[in-house]
Amino acid sequence: MDGLKFVGKRIPKKDAPLKATGEAIYIQDLKVPGMLYGKILYSKYPHAKILKLDISKASALPGVKAVITGGDVPNNFKFGFLKDNPPLKSGKVLSTRDEIAAVAAVSQEIAEEAIDLIDVEYEELPGIFDPIEAMKEGAALVHEEFPSNVLKMPWKFVHGDVEAAKKESAFIAEDTFSTQWVTHCCLGTSGCVASFDVGNTLTMYSNTQIPSLAQGDFLEALKAFGLKNKRVRIIQTVIGGGFGSKLDTYAYEYIAILLALKTRRPVKIVFSREEEFLATSPRQPTITKISQGCDKDGKLTFREMAMVLDNGAYTSWGATTPSVMMVPISSLYKVPNIKYTAKCVYTNNTYSQAFRGYGNPQATFAIESCLDQLAEKAGIDPVEIRRINANESGEVTPQNFRITSCGMKDCIEEVVKRLDWKNKCKRGNGKGVGMASLIHVGGAARVYKSDGCGTIIKVDDNGKVDVITGASEIGQGSDTIIAQIVAEVLGIPMDDINVINNDTDVCPWDVGAHASRTTFVAGNSALGAAQKIKAQIMEIAAKNLGEPVDALDMQDGIIFSKNDKEKSIPLGKVLRKAHYSLGGRMLVAEHFYDPPNENFDQTFRGNLSVSYAYGAHGVEVEVDRETGQVKILNYIAAHDVGKAINPMLLEGQIYGGGLQGIGYALGERMIYDKGYLKNGNFLDYKMPTVRDVPPVQAVIVESDEQAGPFGAKGIGEPGLVPTAPAIANAIYDAVGVRIKDLPITPEKILRALKEKEGQKA
Amino acid sequence: MGSFEYLRPASISEAIALMEGSGGRGVYIAGGTDVMVLIRQKKIFPGCLISLRNIGDLAYLNTASGLAIGSAVTHNAIAKNEFIQKKYTALTDATNKVGSLQIRNVATMGGNICNAAPSADTACPLLVLDAQAVIAGKDGDRKVPIDDFFLGPNKVALKPGEILKGFAMPAFNGRTGSAYIKHTRRQAMDLPMLGVAARITIRIDGDEIGCKDALCTIDNISNILRRFEDEKLVCEDIRIAMGVVAPRPMRAKKAEEALKGKVISEALFEEIGEIAASECQPRDSIRGEAWYRRDMVKVLTRRAILRAVDRVIRPDDMIWPERLW
Amino acid sequence: MKKEINFTLNNEKVTVEADTQWTLLYVLREVLEMTGTKEGCGYGECGACTVVIDGQAVNSCLYPIMEVEGRNIITIEGLMTKSGELDPIQKAFVDEGAVQCGFCIPGMIMSAKALLDAKPKPTEDEIKESIEGNLCRCTGYVKIIDAIKSVAGGR
Repeated sequence: MDGLKFVGKRIPKKDAPLKATGEAIYIQDLKVPGMLYGKILYSKYPHAKILKLDISKASALPGVKAVITGGDVPNNFKFGFLKDNPPLKSGKVLSTRDEIAAVAAVSQEIAEEAIDLIDVEYEELPGIFDPIEAMKEGAALVHEEFPSNVLKMPWKFVHGDVEAAKKESAFIAEDTFSTQWVTHCCLGTSGCVASFDVGNTLTMYSNTQIPSLAQGDFLEALKAFGLKNKRVRIIQTVIGGGFGSKLDTYAYEYIAILLALKTRRPVKIVFSREEEFLATSPRQPTITKISQGCDKDGKLTFREMAMVLDNGAYTSWGATTPSVMMVPISSLYKVPNIKYTAKCVYTNNTYSQAFRGYGNPQATFAIESCLDQLAEKAGIDPVEIRRINANESGEVTPQNFRITSCGMKDCIEEVVKRLDWKNKCKRGNGKGVGMASLIHVGGAARVYKSDGCGTIIKVDDNGKVDVITGASEIGQGSDTIIAQIVAEVLGIPMDDINVINNDTDVCPWDVGAHASRTTFVAGNSALGAAQKIKAQIMEIAAKNLGEPVDALDMQDGIIFSKNDKEKSIPLGKVLRKAHYSLGGRMLVAEHFYDPPNENFDQTFRGNLSVSYAYGAHGVEVEVDRETGQVKILNYIAAHDVGKAINPMLLEGQIYGGGLQGIGYALGERMIYDKGYLKNGNFLDYKMPTVRDVPPVQAVIVESDEQAGPFGAKGIGEPGLVPTAPAIANAIYDAVGVRIKDLPITPEKILRALKEKEGQKA
Repeated sequence: MGSFEYLRPASISEAIALMEGSGGRGVYIAGGTDVMVLIRQKKIFPGCLISLRNIGDLAYLNTASGLAIGSAVTHNAIAKNEFIQKKYTALTDATNKVGSLQIRNVATMGGNICNAAPSADTACPLLVLDAQAVIAGKDGDRKVPIDDFFLGPNKVALKPGEILKGFAMPAFNGRTGSAYIKHTRRQAMDLPMLGVAARITIRIDGDEIGCKDALCTIDNISNILRRFEDEKLVCEDIRIAMGVVAPRPMRAKKAEEALKGKVISEALFEEIGEIAASECQPRDSIRGEAWYRRDMVKVLTRRAILRAVDRVIRPDDMIWPERLW
Repeated sequence: MKKEINFTLNNEKVTVEADTQWTLLYVLREVLEMTGTKEGCGYGECGACTVVIDGQAVNSCLYPIMEVEGRNIITIEGLMTKSGELDPIQKAFVDEGAVQCGFCIPGMIMSAKALLDAKPKPTEDEIKESIEGNLCRCTGYVKIIDAIKSVAGGR
């Protein structure tokens, strides 16, 4: 119908055979000649002075090649968003994940043994673990060099006049919501191999999802380590899951670099599962005060939110999540008056970072739960209030987001229809339905100076095409999406396309696999490059066939004249004609796409994304009133994706995101007790199993985004954004209790039910 | 991981001799799903592992009189055994839910019991099925009621040199049903927040028990029980056991006492649940809060008894009318 | 302390000089350099290391190498045909979109293999049982179930 041969098709993921046969090489599988094994010693206490750190026994162990401590970090080097995090801590530790020493040894076993031989004496100090306590006047400072535990980050967005709107509102709902630490649980743990050559070029084999930014971070570190004007090459192995966990650089990477420098041998550090739980950075816990109002017809009048985030002991890029939280806070539904403030607070807990959704799940949980409270006060059906206030194309939101394509209403209607909302709501029999919507960046997000991605396409002598992209393949399928776009433009089979995406020596710059931006940005970049190389191909083919360029087309790798099908030439031949003629040339094209979106200004206004992704989730639950257990009977996830380049992979993002959201809503939490992680394993951290999968439907709504490649928008993160509030709303519909604190455990439901019964009695 | 010897004796007596010769540093290993974890976590440092996998005398499963299961029989072998599914269903309920299929394929019931975790899933069913632990020692076998076998967390009544050989359970009459309910946060790969098992034998004067009413096929057990009200179903025998609500898996003996000989009804089961809840001593842990566990003992005791009753009245192999149509 | 261990690995006889404390997973990955079998946790809590031993799916990370003597082991490397064709299960995982980051996939496929060899036409519940010990964070399991179903349907 649309004449597309590759785009929009259920094409298997390009690297799936490699992964299904076990041939794919993950960081765990990599061995480099001469490689040593690094291991890190973490602090025993969340807050303590290090009185003694004796490495002599560890150093003396046969097979140990280096032992380093904080004193071995040159020039007081620190990393992180606010440069507050030394890769190895000396003098004092601020959390139980603080790295205090590291070893490199000839085997993993010896490295582990050496770690056990390091003798540390601490003087335990009282810690501060509650961000609210940490904000109080006179609270002990986590970082003595800073005047306050509240980070100096001015998260504040104001639009219109909230106070005036409050007075004019017919109904107001206000409440406090809170969320927990949850962690990525990538099945492949974090790791790297750091290796220097004779010229001190650093090669990092890494599973980072931000190769270009990591390259910059490591260059800066080298400079601090006394290696000025050197080169860093990042080679990504196959990545065993990202979800934001690899969106920043971590201490272990700098430690591997230091150990490699000291030993002059490649050093590999791969996290054990315990370390992955302890020493990677979870989604930040939040406490949110929210108040929303509407007029007598249900039109929203204002939204006011004040948030406190537990930053942990150090500051990563994750401290910027309030900027992305602003997306739903300012622009989910039409709200004329907005006030939002957020404080990130240092504590002696683990420090947080990026996790799929980047703040949006926390914000949306508060907004969408509170919206149902407001609807109830106003006597309006939860669906109706969402219909009334839904976003629309052409809208300019308070943050100056220019809404282009918008399938929000369609998503809501899909949920209503498929859930049989009218018949399923307000049954009062322990079963209930709930819904929640989402807005997220869908056309990149300019959080960094550049939001670009480059692509190089070259054609070899045999007509095979190499697409060299900056985009990182983290399992989401970017290689396949890019190949589909190139195949579509050029008219060549998928199998003729090779996507190279893992080497900064070869691949163009890209800001990273974040913000659901890869299909949109890398896709547009590939599209541009494909069009450029096609023009070159056609120009040469035209000469050879004696036909004008615009009379030519290409299918299955053969260029032919639309006027005379007899006139044709295979792509390989075109290339060889160009290559083997006088003044021979090869076919190479490059395209750098940096979307026309805007950084926020000082007031946090600016069109952050070229387009915005929408969606709505609806869920039917059954609550066991005696046990508080929740069973999901039906789950509908409708997403406006612009255009599905590959519906099969896209459904995979929705199903996968959805189940992460269900885990977030109903069970997952990292249990920290005074700075100690109590459940850092797969048995006690309740990541959903296959038995926890409810009946689920992924509904694709296509709104044809004009700025997107073939109309596509991003879908990486949205799948889990509205899950928790949809479930909370359904539970309320089922049994009349509202749980405002994630995760919604059976204990919380039962306690709330008892309280409710008590009130009646 | 410290270095250790790995020994694979072929008989019980050989295993006992190896253990005696290990200078106190020997550890028995069967499926290994607990032992290997403890070694990796550096919680134990054995000098040698003595494998029980090659000992045929630990791998029996006899149904000639009652049920006799060797300690080295895997959870999956028990879970998939049709005789056990019919006659000792509580054991099926429990073995089916331990860990994952990969774990159940190697983990043994003997290991589950000897580990003596308060959360051992098979403990409650063994308690309600009147199991005896068969213990092999130098001087032959001895039997200990399973209730006396658990001494406390990770402590069992094995003397040095002894091996848990297996479990012996009596035969129960056809008016007996049993069930185990495991309360978890996840639907697989989970330890119980708590678990409750029940076995009940019921009696009705002068008649076979069984639901001959077509409605039985679709109705829930609560309603069916209500319809039986006039016929006076009597609890002839009852066992109730609870896990994770005390330092060791325990019987709810007061609750049992209160039910025995009474005409059964759901309302009575509710009371029995409350008595059971008053008997347990749960505590707070990262896996669950004490008040919740106590509350759930109440609910799950009722449900477990109800399910056991259901299995008497509507055994799985009954031919339902709709299947005939 | 080393001992010689003999077993059948992917239909070939293998002899390994193994340390008594090694696990099967360690021997596969570090000694035989067959890295298709993954380690996701090391405690039998994720299933990434699943292999098939004498027809049963087992966590190789908890399996002492000393117990492998005389046994028949199949790993992910043993599924492809000699001519390089994918096993029907592997093909189904590829075609149904069941693979994302892929780290759990070798273990998933081995669990499915043990199931389908024993029960060519499993029920949905049996499919779920077979992979309940295999954690996946990417896919939400939906397409993995579909893939196993499609193999069963095609048989």
